[in-house]
Amino acid sequence: MSFVTQRPLELILARNLMSALSTPAFLVDEGGLLVFYNEAAGMLLGKRFEELGTVGPQEWGSLFGPFDERGEPIPYDDLPLVKAVRAGRPAHAEMTVRSTDGSQHDVEVSAFPIQTAHGSQGAIAVFWPALVGGNGAGPA
Amino acid sequence: MKVKLWGTRGSIPAPGPETIRYGGNTSCVGVTLADGSMLALDAGTGIRCLGLSLPDEPTRLHILLTHLHLDHIQGLVFFAPAFRPQTEIVIWGPASPEASLRDRIARYISAPLSPVEVRELPCDVSFRHCPESEWEIGSARIRSASVAHRGPTLGYRIDDGDSSLTYIPDHEPALGADLDELEEDWISGFELARDTDLLIHDGQYTDAEYPNHLGWGHSALEHSLSFARRTGAKRTVLFHHDPLHSDDELDQLAIEARQRWVELGGDPAAIELATERSEYELPARAASTVATA
Repeated sequence: MSFVTQRPLELILARNLMSALSTPAFLVDEGGLLVFYNEAAGMLLGKRFEELGTVGPQEWGSLFGPFDERGEPIPYDDLPLVKAVRAGRPAHAEMTVRSTDGSQHDVEVSAFPIQTAHGSQGAIAVFWPALVGGNGAGPA
Repeated sequence: MKVKLWGTRGSIPAPGPETIRYGGNTSCVGVTLADGSMLALDAGTGIRCLGLSLPDEPTRLHILLTHLHLDHIQGLVFFAPAFRPQTEIVIWGPASPEASLRDRIARYISAPLSPVEVRELPCDVSFRHCPESEWEIGSARIRSASVAHRGPTLGYRIDDGDSSLTYIPDHEPALGADLDELEEDWISGFELARDTDLLIHDGQYTDAEYPNHLGWGHSALEHSLSFARRTGAKRTVLFHHDPLHSDDELDQLAIEARQRWVELGGDPAAIELATERSEYELPARAASTVATA
């Protein structure tokens, strides 16, 4: 018998939940592949997931060019989502992301791993609007 | 592969004159493989009669539990072969980070809920967590996968020769999702049911009932039909009837299911509601399924 490569149930349920949220949220699989983001995240980035599709781990970070408080690009390895999926630990950071129209948004990012009985299945990152002032890297 | 439905009801046994045709026993399906190996899918109250149908001689059988809700295990302590020393029973089920399968089942087969303890069962019983990969029982290859329900829950696919059976009795794949739009790899249970010869699937609610049971872990008719269509199941049996559904109501649901299946482009003979004691024979080298009930 041949089977399609089906997503783990935990990712399916996470995507279903994220689809119903008004908070921007991103989902990566255990290999760091960006497999989904919701409509709110699409509005933040200026591009719907359906337009972008699945994106490899080295690409998605640069898609929205996260910057730190000095305006420097945040290394891929330091992104909360990467930390969460690699270390299996929650991670949090402030950053500025860039939309496709060039606008910038100060956000706080909370990422946490999806741990199951079969080990890590990926991670979720939720973007929160930064409090007044943000990280100072650009206009919100 | 021969399949017999010993319990088709969900949630709680529903005996009585108003459920006598579709049956009141909870989930249990007996499967006899091509090499004679015997499986029971779930151990609801239907397994009691399955046990009574077995000869009183040395027997080895496998019980594949989808999950441990009471309507899927309640018949275990009334399964006659479990009280025969010459019987070997292997119970398969979902793993949980909380406790072993044996310990979780023992919560039911122990005081004050049960007059006997697991250790007192005269049969040779063992408990195994379903592996992530495919495994073999007798002539069949078995595959399990977690599916959308409440708590750790599995669906099963059994391939025996060229015939296949998929069993997902408790399933809410449309929770927070549009099954008609979703990519197939994002549909819970999809790979278990893809192109299967016989799909036994959750059909607990009418579309009108579903909104009041959102998140309870079961499907509305719309979802069951959509899942069957998307997966390409050759024949679908709607299972796990709501205990409040009388035979007359299920008759109406069956008519509606066939009509809507035709509207979806399907063969009306390929969709039906599960009836207790119905039998199906899946020929080893044929695509069609023969109902023998």
